[in-house]
Amino acid sequence: MTGGPCIDHYDWPGGRETLLRFGSGPPRVFLSLPLFEEYNRTRAFGVTLLRALADRGIGGLLPDWPGTGDSIVPTRDATLAAMRAAYGALVAAHPGIVGLSIRSGALIDGDAPVAGRWQLSPIWGNDLARELDRQTSADGTIGGNSLSRSLLDALTAAQPGAARIVRLDSDPRPADLTVAGSPLWRRAEPGNDPDLAARLADDIATWIDRCAG
Amino acid sequence: MRLHSADVAEFTPALYGAHLMQPFRAVDLLPEGKNQVEQTVRATLADILGIAADRAAAFTDTTPLFGALPELDSMAVASVLTELEDRLAILIEDDEVDGDMLETFGSLVAFAARKALV
Repeated sequence: MTGGPCIDHYDWPGGRETLLRFGSGPPRVFLSLPLFEEYNRTRAFGVTLLRALADRGIGGLLPDWPGTGDSIVPTRDATLAAMRAAYGALVAAHPGIVGLSIRSGALIDGDAPVAGRWQLSPIWGNDLARELDRQTSADGTIGGNSLSRSLLDALTAAQPGAARIVRLDSDPRPADLTVAGSPLWRRAEPGNDPDLAARLADDIATWIDRCAG
Repeated sequence: MRLHSADVAEFTPALYGAHLMQPFRAVDLLPEGKNQVEQTVRATLADILGIAADRAAAFTDTTPLFGALPELDSMAVASVLTELEDRLAILIEDDEVDGDMLETFGSLVAFAARKALV
Protein backbone atom coordinates (compact mmCIF):
# COMPACT_ATOMS: atom_id res chain seq x y z
CA MET A 1 0.00 0.00 0.00
CA THR A 2 1.10 3.53 -0.67
CA GLY A 3 0.64 6.49 1.61
CA GLY A 4 -1.91 9.19 1.11
CA PRO A 5 -1.71 11.72 -1.69
CA CYS A 6 0.35 14.93 -1.42
CA ILE A 7 -1.23 18.29 -2.03
CA ASP A 8 0.55 20.18 -4.80
CA HIS A 9 -0.14 22.91 -7.34
CA TYR A 10 0.23 23.58 -11.03
CA ASP A 11 0.33 26.81 -12.97
CA TRP A 12 -1.67 27.71 -16.03
CA PRO A 13 -1.76 31.00 -17.97
CA GLY A 14 -4.69 32.27 -15.88
CA GLY A 15 -3.40 31.35 -12.43
CA ARG A 16 -2.62 28.44 -10.15
CA GLU A 17 -4.77 25.46 -9.19
CA THR A 18 -4.49 22.67 -6.65
CA LEU A 19 -3.78 19.04 -7.47
CA LEU A 20 -3.38 15.85 -5.48
CA ARG A 21 -0.32 13.77 -6.31
CA PHE A 22 -0.51 9.97 -5.89
CA GLY A 23 2.46 7.62 -5.84
CA SER A 24 6.14 8.44 -6.14
CA GLY A 25 8.07 9.36 -9.24
CA PRO A 26 6.80 11.18 -12.32
CA PRO A 27 3.03 10.91 -12.80
CA ARG A 28 1.92 8.80 -15.75
CA VAL A 29 -1.79 9.59 -15.58
CA PHE A 30 -4.13 12.31 -14.41
CA LEU A 31 -7.86 12.11 -13.74
CA SER A 32 -10.47 14.63 -14.89
CA LEU A 33 -13.55 14.27 -12.68
CA PRO A 34 -17.08 15.10 -13.86
CA LEU A 35 -18.33 18.65 -13.55
CA PHE A 36 -20.90 20.05 -11.09
CA GLU A 37 -23.01 17.75 -8.92
CA GLU A 38 -21.38 14.60 -10.29
CA TYR A 39 -17.99 15.90 -9.10
CA ASN A 40 -19.08 15.57 -5.48
CA ARG A 41 -20.47 12.11 -6.08
CA THR A 42 -17.31 10.74 -7.72
CA ARG A 43 -14.42 12.47 -5.94
CA ALA A 44 -13.93 9.76 -3.30
CA PHE A 45 -14.11 7.13 -6.04
CA GLY A 46 -11.56 9.05 -8.12
CA VAL A 47 -9.18 9.15 -5.16
CA THR A 48 -9.67 5.41 -4.66
CA LEU A 49 -8.94 4.77 -8.34
CA LEU A 50 -5.73 6.84 -8.27
CA ARG A 51 -4.62 5.08 -5.06
CA ALA A 52 -5.24 1.73 -6.74
CA LEU A 53 -3.14 2.84 -9.71
CA ALA A 54 -0.34 4.01 -7.39
CA ASP A 55 -0.43 0.54 -5.79
CA ARG A 56 0.20 -0.82 -9.30
CA GLY A 57 3.21 1.46 -9.78
CA ILE A 58 1.37 4.12 -11.80
CA GLY A 59 1.68 7.57 -10.28
CA GLY A 60 -1.21 9.96 -10.89
CA LEU A 61 -2.54 13.47 -10.46
CA LEU A 62 -6.01 14.69 -9.50
CA PRO A 63 -6.17 18.35 -10.60
CA ASP A 64 -8.79 20.98 -9.92
CA TRP A 65 -9.78 22.98 -12.98
CA PRO A 66 -10.49 26.72 -12.74
CA GLY A 67 -13.95 26.86 -11.16
CA THR A 68 -14.01 23.26 -9.88
CA GLY A 69 -13.14 21.66 -6.54
CA ASP A 70 -11.09 23.96 -4.32
CA SER A 71 -10.36 26.46 -7.11
CA ILE A 72 -10.59 30.09 -6.07
CA VAL A 73 -12.36 30.83 -9.35
CA PRO A 74 -16.10 31.09 -8.49
CA THR A 75 -18.26 28.48 -10.23
CA ARG A 76 -20.34 31.22 -11.86
CA ASP A 77 -17.17 32.56 -13.53
CA ALA A 78 -16.00 29.17 -14.80
CA THR A 79 -15.50 28.83 -18.56
CA LEU A 80 -14.70 25.81 -20.67
CA ALA A 81 -11.91 27.78 -22.37
CA ALA A 82 -10.17 28.38 -19.01
CA MET A 83 -10.59 24.73 -18.00
CA ARG A 84 -9.10 23.63 -21.32
CA ALA A 85 -6.23 26.09 -20.96
CA ALA A 86 -5.45 24.65 -17.52
CA TYR A 87 -5.81 21.11 -18.89
CA GLY A 88 -3.38 21.95 -21.70
CA ALA A 89 -0.89 23.50 -19.28
CA LEU A 90 -0.96 20.41 -17.08
CA VAL A 91 -0.37 18.14 -20.09
CA ALA A 92 2.44 20.37 -21.39
CA ALA A 93 4.17 20.17 -18.00
CA HIS A 94 4.07 16.35 -18.09
CA PRO A 95 4.98 15.11 -21.59
CA GLY A 96 3.74 11.58 -22.25
CA ILE A 97 1.04 11.72 -19.59
CA VAL A 98 -2.23 9.81 -20.13
CA GLY A 99 -5.60 11.49 -19.58
CA LEU A 100 -8.21 9.56 -17.56
CA SER A 101 -11.71 10.92 -17.19
CA ILE A 102 -15.08 10.11 -15.70
CA ARG A 103 -18.31 11.29 -17.39
CA SER A 104 -18.21 15.00 -18.34
CA GLY A 105 -14.54 15.16 -17.31
CA ALA A 106 -13.91 13.96 -20.87
CA LEU A 107 -15.31 17.22 -22.29
CA ILE A 108 -12.49 19.31 -20.80
CA ASP A 109 -9.91 17.48 -22.88
CA GLY A 110 -10.32 19.41 -26.11
CA ASP A 111 -7.39 18.46 -28.32
CA ALA A 112 -4.67 18.43 -25.67
CA PRO A 113 -1.67 16.29 -26.76
CA VAL A 114 -2.09 13.51 -24.20
CA ALA A 115 -0.32 10.19 -24.81
CA GLY A 116 -3.66 8.40 -24.58
CA ARG A 117 -7.21 8.80 -23.35
CA TRP A 118 -9.21 6.45 -21.11
CA GLN A 119 -12.79 7.40 -20.34
CA LEU A 120 -15.29 5.92 -17.89
CA SER A 121 -18.85 6.43 -19.16
CA PRO A 122 -18.10 9.57 -21.21
CA ILE A 123 -21.03 11.88 -21.84
CA TRP A 124 -21.61 14.14 -24.84
CA GLY A 125 -22.14 17.83 -24.25
CA ASN A 126 -25.72 17.88 -25.50
CA ASP A 127 -26.64 15.04 -23.12
CA LEU A 128 -24.98 16.92 -20.27
CA ALA A 129 -26.96 20.05 -21.16
CA ARG A 130 -30.18 18.05 -21.08
CA GLU A 131 -29.33 16.66 -17.63
CA LEU A 132 -28.40 20.10 -16.30
CA ASP A 133 -31.66 21.50 -17.63
CA ARG A 134 -33.55 18.81 -15.71
CA GLN A 135 -31.59 19.60 -12.53
CA THR A 136 -32.20 23.35 -12.73
CA SER A 137 -34.28 24.72 -9.85
CA ALA A 138 -37.02 27.31 -10.20
CA ASP A 139 -34.51 29.99 -9.13
CA GLY A 140 -32.23 29.11 -12.03
CA THR A 141 -29.52 27.48 -9.93
CA ILE A 142 -28.23 23.93 -10.36
CA GLY A 143 -27.49 22.20 -7.07
CA GLY A 144 -27.17 25.67 -5.50
CA ASN A 145 -24.71 26.93 -8.16
CA SER A 146 -25.17 29.58 -10.82
CA LEU A 147 -23.56 28.67 -14.12
CA SER A 148 -22.81 31.14 -16.88
CA ARG A 149 -24.64 30.92 -20.19
CA SER A 150 -21.29 30.87 -22.01
CA LEU A 151 -20.16 27.79 -20.03
CA LEU A 152 -23.41 25.96 -20.74
CA ASP A 153 -23.27 26.84 -24.43
CA ALA A 154 -19.63 25.74 -24.74
CA LEU A 155 -20.31 22.47 -22.91
CA THR A 156 -23.36 21.75 -25.06
CA ALA A 157 -21.15 21.80 -28.16
CA ALA A 158 -18.32 19.78 -26.58
CA GLN A 159 -17.56 16.16 -27.46
CA PRO A 160 -15.20 13.63 -25.90
CA GLY A 161 -12.07 12.82 -27.90
CA ALA A 162 -11.21 9.37 -29.23
CA ALA A 163 -10.38 7.09 -26.32
CA ARG A 164 -10.54 3.67 -24.75
CA ILE A 165 -14.11 3.72 -23.44
CA VAL A 166 -15.28 1.75 -20.41
CA ARG A 167 -18.95 1.61 -19.42
CA LEU A 168 -21.06 -0.10 -16.77
CA ASP A 169 -23.06 -3.17 -17.74
CA SER A 170 -26.30 -1.24 -17.21
CA ASP A 171 -25.32 1.19 -19.98
CA PRO A 172 -26.24 -0.02 -23.48
CA ARG A 173 -23.96 2.42 -25.36
CA PRO A 174 -20.89 1.08 -27.20
CA ALA A 175 -17.73 0.50 -25.15
CA ASP A 176 -14.33 -1.18 -25.42
CA LEU A 177 -14.91 -2.77 -22.02
CA THR A 178 -18.06 -3.28 -19.97
CA VAL A 179 -17.84 -3.81 -16.21
CA ALA A 180 -20.38 -4.56 -13.49
CA GLY A 181 -21.04 -1.65 -11.18
CA SER A 182 -23.41 1.05 -10.04
CA PRO A 183 -23.34 4.61 -11.48
CA LEU A 184 -21.88 6.45 -8.49
CA TRP A 185 -22.23 9.76 -10.39
CA ARG A 186 -25.99 9.53 -10.16
CA ARG A 187 -26.28 8.28 -6.60
CA ALA A 188 -28.29 10.54 -4.28
CA GLU A 189 -25.57 10.36 -1.60
CA PRO A 190 -21.86 10.21 -2.49
CA GLY A 191 -20.60 6.64 -2.35
CA ASN A 192 -17.54 4.62 -3.25
CA ASP A 193 -16.78 1.26 -4.84
CA PRO A 194 -13.24 0.00 -4.14
CA ASP A 195 -13.88 -3.25 -6.05
CA LEU A 196 -14.83 -1.32 -9.18
CA ALA A 197 -11.82 0.98 -8.71
CA ALA A 198 -9.51 -2.06 -8.52
CA ARG A 199 -11.07 -3.57 -11.65
CA LEU A 200 -10.66 -0.31 -13.55
CA ALA A 201 -7.09 0.19 -12.28
CA ASP A 202 -6.24 -3.26 -13.67
CA ASP A 203 -7.68 -2.28 -17.04
CA ILE A 204 -5.84 1.05 -17.10
CA ALA A 205 -2.52 -0.56 -16.11
CA THR A 206 -2.84 -3.26 -18.77
CA TRP A 207 -3.92 -0.78 -21.44
CA ILE A 208 -1.07 1.64 -20.65
CA ASP A 209 1.49 -1.16 -20.89
CA ARG A 210 0.10 -2.33 -24.22
CA CYS A 211 -0.92 0.83 -25.99
CA ALA A 212 -0.26 4.11 -24.28
CA GLY A 213 3.01 3.65 -22.43
CA MET B 1 -35.81 1.27 -33.52
CA ARG B 2 -38.42 0.56 -30.86
CA LEU B 3 -39.81 -2.82 -29.86
CA HIS B 4 -43.54 -2.92 -30.56
CA SER B 5 -45.95 -4.41 -28.06
CA ALA B 6 -47.12 -6.93 -30.65
CA ASP B 7 -43.53 -8.08 -31.03
CA VAL B 8 -43.22 -8.47 -27.28
CA ALA B 9 -46.27 -10.73 -27.18
CA GLU B 10 -44.75 -12.77 -29.95
CA PHE B 11 -41.39 -13.05 -28.21
CA THR B 12 -42.74 -13.81 -24.76
CA PRO B 13 -43.00 -17.62 -25.09
CA ALA B 14 -39.37 -17.69 -26.18
CA LEU B 15 -38.07 -15.31 -23.52
CA TYR B 16 -36.60 -18.10 -21.44
CA GLY B 17 -35.99 -20.97 -23.81
CA ALA B 18 -35.21 -24.13 -21.85
CA HIS B 19 -32.09 -24.74 -23.88
CA LEU B 20 -30.85 -21.18 -23.52
CA MET B 21 -31.47 -20.33 -19.87
CA GLN B 22 -30.84 -16.77 -20.91
CA PRO B 23 -33.32 -14.08 -21.91
CA PHE B 24 -33.93 -14.00 -25.62
CA ARG B 25 -32.42 -10.80 -26.93
CA ALA B 26 -34.20 -9.44 -29.98
CA VAL B 27 -32.12 -6.27 -29.87
CA ASP B 28 -29.41 -5.95 -27.29
CA LEU B 29 -30.22 -2.32 -26.56
CA LEU B 30 -33.85 -2.89 -25.74
CA PRO B 31 -35.75 -4.51 -22.89
CA GLU B 32 -37.58 -7.73 -23.65
CA GLY B 33 -40.87 -6.85 -22.10
CA LYS B 34 -42.60 -5.47 -19.08
CA ASN B 35 -40.82 -7.81 -16.70
CA GLN B 36 -37.51 -6.56 -18.02
CA VAL B 37 -38.64 -2.95 -17.65
CA GLU B 38 -39.71 -3.66 -14.06
CA GLN B 39 -36.30 -5.15 -13.25
CA THR B 40 -34.60 -2.15 -14.83
CA VAL B 41 -36.69 0.32 -12.82
CA ARG B 42 -36.03 -1.67 -9.63
CA ALA B 43 -32.27 -1.77 -10.26
CA THR B 44 -32.20 1.92 -11.17
CA LEU B 45 -33.96 2.95 -7.95
CA ALA B 46 -31.60 0.74 -5.92
CA ASP B 47 -28.52 2.19 -7.64
CA ILE B 48 -29.55 5.85 -7.57
CA LEU B 49 -31.06 5.90 -4.09
CA GLY B 50 -28.38 3.61 -2.64
CA ILE B 51 -30.93 1.27 -1.11
CA ALA B 52 -30.22 -2.38 -0.37
CA ALA B 53 -31.09 -4.97 -3.00
CA ASP B 54 -33.41 -6.87 -0.65
CA ARG B 55 -35.34 -3.68 0.13
CA ALA B 56 -35.68 -2.89 -3.56
CA ALA B 57 -36.67 -6.49 -4.28
CA ALA B 58 -39.60 -6.10 -1.88
CA PHE B 59 -41.10 -3.19 -3.89
CA THR B 60 -44.58 -4.04 -5.20
CA ASP B 61 -46.90 -2.15 -7.52
CA THR B 62 -48.41 -0.31 -4.52
CA THR B 63 -45.13 0.64 -2.80
CA PRO B 64 -45.25 4.45 -2.51
CA LEU B 65 -42.25 6.33 -3.94
CA PHE B 66 -42.22 10.15 -4.16
CA GLY B 67 -42.95 11.61 -0.73
CA ALA B 68 -42.51 8.21 0.95
CA LEU B 69 -38.84 7.48 0.22
CA PRO B 70 -36.73 10.15 1.94
CA GLU B 71 -33.88 9.46 -0.50
CA LEU B 72 -36.09 10.42 -3.46
CA ASP B 73 -35.78 14.22 -3.48
CA SER B 74 -36.13 16.37 -6.59
CA MET B 75 -32.45 15.99 -7.53
CA ALA B 76 -32.73 12.21 -7.17
CA VAL B 77 -35.86 12.24 -9.34
CA ALA B 78 -33.83 13.94 -12.08
CA SER B 79 -31.16 11.26 -11.75
CA VAL B 80 -33.68 8.40 -11.80
CA LEU B 81 -35.38 9.73 -14.94
CA THR B 82 -32.09 10.30 -16.76
CA GLU B 83 -30.76 6.89 -15.79
CA LEU B 84 -33.99 5.25 -16.98
CA GLU B 85 -33.59 7.09 -20.29
CA ASP B 86 -30.09 5.69 -20.67
CA ARG B 87 -30.89 2.12 -19.63
CA LEU B 88 -34.14 1.80 -21.58
CA ALA B 89 -33.08 3.91 -24.59
CA ILE B 90 -36.11 6.19 -24.16
CA LEU B 91 -36.67 9.95 -23.97
CA ILE B 92 -38.82 11.39 -21.19
CA GLU B 93 -40.19 14.88 -21.84
CA ASP B 94 -40.56 17.26 -18.92
CA ASP B 95 -44.31 17.59 -19.43
CA GLU B 96 -44.66 13.83 -18.97
CA VAL B 97 -43.26 14.01 -15.45
CA ASP B 98 -45.89 14.46 -12.76
CA GLY B 99 -46.77 13.25 -9.29
CA ASP B 100 -48.94 10.40 -10.54
CA MET B 101 -46.11 8.80 -12.47
CA LEU B 102 -43.88 8.82 -9.39
CA GLU B 103 -46.58 7.96 -6.86
CA THR B 104 -45.91 4.23 -6.65
CA PHE B 105 -43.42 1.69 -7.96
CA GLY B 106 -46.21 0.28 -10.12
CA SER B 107 -47.01 3.65 -11.69
CA LEU B 108 -43.35 4.31 -12.53
CA VAL B 109 -42.98 0.84 -14.06
CA ALA B 110 -46.15 1.34 -16.09
CA PHE B 111 -44.90 4.70 -17.37
CA ALA B 112 -41.49 3.29 -18.28
CA ALA B 113 -43.08 0.28 -19.99
CA ARG B 114 -45.34 2.55 -22.07
CA LYS B 115 -42.29 4.50 -23.23
CA ALA B 116 -40.04 1.50 -23.85
CA LEU B 117 -42.55 -0.89 -25.41
CA VAL B 118 -44.58 1.42 -27.65
